[in-house]
Amino acid sequence: MALLETHDLTRRFPGVVALRAVNFTARAGEVHAVCGANGAGKSTLMNVLSGTIAPSSGRVLINGKSVSFTTPAEARSAGIAIVYQEFSSIPELTVADNIFLGQEFRKGFGIVDHKRASSEARALMERFRIDLDPDAAVGTLGVADRQLLELARALSTDAQVLILDEPTGVLSLSEQRNLFEVIRTLRDRGMLILYISHRLEEIFEIADTVSVMRDGELVATREKGSLDRKELVRLMTGHEVSDTEAIVDSLAGGETVLTIDGITSDDSRILLAEGEILGLAGLVGAGRTSIARRLAGLRPRTGMTAQLKGKPLPFDAAGVLKTGLVYLTEDRKEDGIFGPLSIPMNATAAALDYFSSAGFLARRRERSEAATLLEQLRLVASSLDMPITSLSGGNQQKVLFARALLAQPKVLICDEPTRGVDVAAREDIYRLLRDLSKRGVAIIMISSELDELIAMCHRIAIVRHGAVHSVVANEDLDEHKLVLAATGSDAA
Amino acid sequence: MSASALAKRPLLSRHLLDKAAVWIVLLILLIAAGFVSEAFLKLNYLGNLVRQAAPIGITAVGVTFVMILRGVDLSVGAIVSMSAVVCALVMDGKAENLWLAIGVTCATGSLIGLANGLLIAYGRVSSFILTLGMSIVVYGLVQMGTGGTARGIVSPGFREFLNDRIGNVVPTLAICFVIAVVVGIFLQSQTRFGRNVYLVGANPHSARLAGIPAVQTTVIAYCVSGLFAGLGGIALLARTGVSGTNPGAGMEFDVLAAVILGGTTFAGGRGGVGSTFAGVLVLFIALNLANVAGLPFAAQLTIKGIIIIAASAAHAWIGRSGGDRTE
Repeated sequence: MALLETHDLTRRFPGVVALRAVNFTARAGEVHAVCGANGAGKSTLMNVLSGTIAPSSGRVLINGKSVSFTTPAEARSAGIAIVYQEFSSIPELTVADNIFLGQEFRKGFGIVDHKRASSEARALMERFRIDLDPDAAVGTLGVADRQLLELARALSTDAQVLILDEPTGVLSLSEQRNLFEVIRTLRDRGMLILYISHRLEEIFEIADTVSVMRDGELVATREKGSLDRKELVRLMTGHEVSDTEAIVDSLAGGETVLTIDGITSDDSRILLAEGEILGLAGLVGAGRTSIARRLAGLRPRTGMTAQLKGKPLPFDAAGVLKTGLVYLTEDRKEDGIFGPLSIPMNATAAALDYFSSAGFLARRRERSEAATLLEQLRLVASSLDMPITSLSGGNQQKVLFARALLAQPKVLICDEPTRGVDVAAREDIYRLLRDLSKRGVAIIMISSELDELIAMCHRIAIVRHGAVHSVVANEDLDEHKLVLAATGSDAA
Repeated sequence: MSASALAKRPLLSRHLLDKAAVWIVLLILLIAAGFVSEAFLKLNYLGNLVRQAAPIGITAVGVTFVMILRGVDLSVGAIVSMSAVVCALVMDGKAENLWLAIGVTCATGSLIGLANGLLIAYGRVSSFILTLGMSIVVYGLVQMGTGGTARGIVSPGFREFLNDRIGNVVPTLAICFVIAVVVGIFLQSQTRFGRNVYLVGANPHSARLAGIPAVQTTVIAYCVSGLFAGLGGIALLARTGVSGTNPGAGMEFDVLAAVILGGTTFAGGRGGVGSTFAGVLVLFIALNLANVAGLPFAAQLTIKGIIIIAASAAHAWIGRSGGDRTE
């Protein structure tokens, strides 16, 4: 019997139907992946299931019984818990205190019983085989451990259904494997895990059943065995999409653009040629982003020196940008987008020199050039005058790419350029990076997705403990070797 | 594709609502005022209203820039006081000193703004505390300079000109206010400076990455705020004719109320001079209505406070539910 069912679940927003009569069914003891492009309605479905949004019509059934809840707390007591993409833990508190946040054990007089919380937390982790110290302060944990904490928090409510929304977004491969172990344990204990992800390879690894959503409708629910990658992409997009085939062209000996000293473990120098795509692979926390941000002038360049076309790279962010090294951030919200501002204002922010003279803006030219470029990047937006936050993650990323392009880069550093980006937009971004490379722009690409690096890069630098450990040409690589090098398991 | 469909969610209306809110309120207030008394809708009254609002309104134009930048300028009340006093002192009752006095006053305002800006940009002090401190310093200086009595005499013709009505209908001061607004809108939308203010205000980290000179932008914004406060002081002097000892006392809160009403909230990167103009008018019509209703001054103060609270809450509410999209 189905553990979780929805009957004709519909959710309308003014002007759009986000869910259209969705009849979704999932069993206990399975990992059920829900996938779809950005805006397909999977997040809306999960928000309805977790009590964040109320449906316009339709019913939700658990164990055949109709349930209705209007708050996440009510959904939790009905047995549905959700782990969000973004962390909601409080860094100053311990792991245990965070797990029982809002449901603290009390000693009376409103005093919180930390000891009891700690022992209960320990029992919880042992039960689910989660490796976390209940007494550690959350602020000292890495991203992966914080992810596990979020998971433990959801589990503390005795959930029957656990919703994971893009849980591996920030995890490295070994951390991901660890998470998958936990997920399998939960599944074997009879829980239903609803797994939302953009990453197809992950879905094929962890899911038992796959449901695909498109334009607010549930288009298919299949057993994993009866589905291949191409078919899944076709279901998600509604049309054929070329798979990420290997697209590395051999380099025609371009001129050196960027020289970096002081970041390799053996003191060798890294040269980047015109049109070359250099990948930075490594675990989260290995120091890839730090290398990028030091180059971009956002952090002191301790020990590192860099030259662009033979001239020393300036030390301040504005100066670096002027010389033609452009950094595309991994954290769109933090230092990427200008939230309340319009799409063109976001696109031209790094190229205002070009769009103004004597301090006055050439607004018409600014708008029309930004619009043309965004159209080339296949931006999907209802109106350019809307704040950028109205766009989906993939489209926000395209606007940031437009900003980088308008800055006329000689070197482009893109940090996790496809994070939180749906399949179709990913293809657009890959195509764009290839075009840039053909036009002679040198690219440094940081990614946690190894197949992406292998498909895109001429050479891949492995970063470990803050330094480049080795640089390998693409021909010599496969995913397995990269994993070994990144985790340090190849050390002879 | 579905993304385009989803982008059309309630956002469109919310986004527009945030911009239009203050104008809608202004319209409703005007209609309400029209029911109270037809006189409210006469050109004469409206002109008078804008004239009355000129000192606060002109000052609010400058403060808008600082607030888009996530800052605040509480020293404008003190700058208005100082400007009125300095202007009257330099005029010294002589017609030939008129332009000199205006120039010196503007320079004084800008200089105090410059001090604010440099201390905030380089000292990394909270703009709230710093400009509050600055306002006390400036009030003190004014008191020392005047010795506690009204000093200085305005130039002949100064008041007459500014309090005249062009074509016997539109007061000159009202026109000055409108010109200040137009200049403000031009600065905000057509110049690099204005754009930088929005970019830094919307997200200082992104601005740094995009190579926007945040320090320079901050310093100029506070200078602009000081300059407009100086002009506001001149407008006040024209209305009252005597400098008094502290004519701008407490004005910073009226200015703050008007700017926030317009939708330039502490969140940064939102709002603008046009909305501030509407905010100033809403504030003055509301106070005039209270006046007509015979509410005492104390009650009017309470109304002002409630307006600040309600307006910032309303804009925060509209902005929050309209601004973000998860996923």
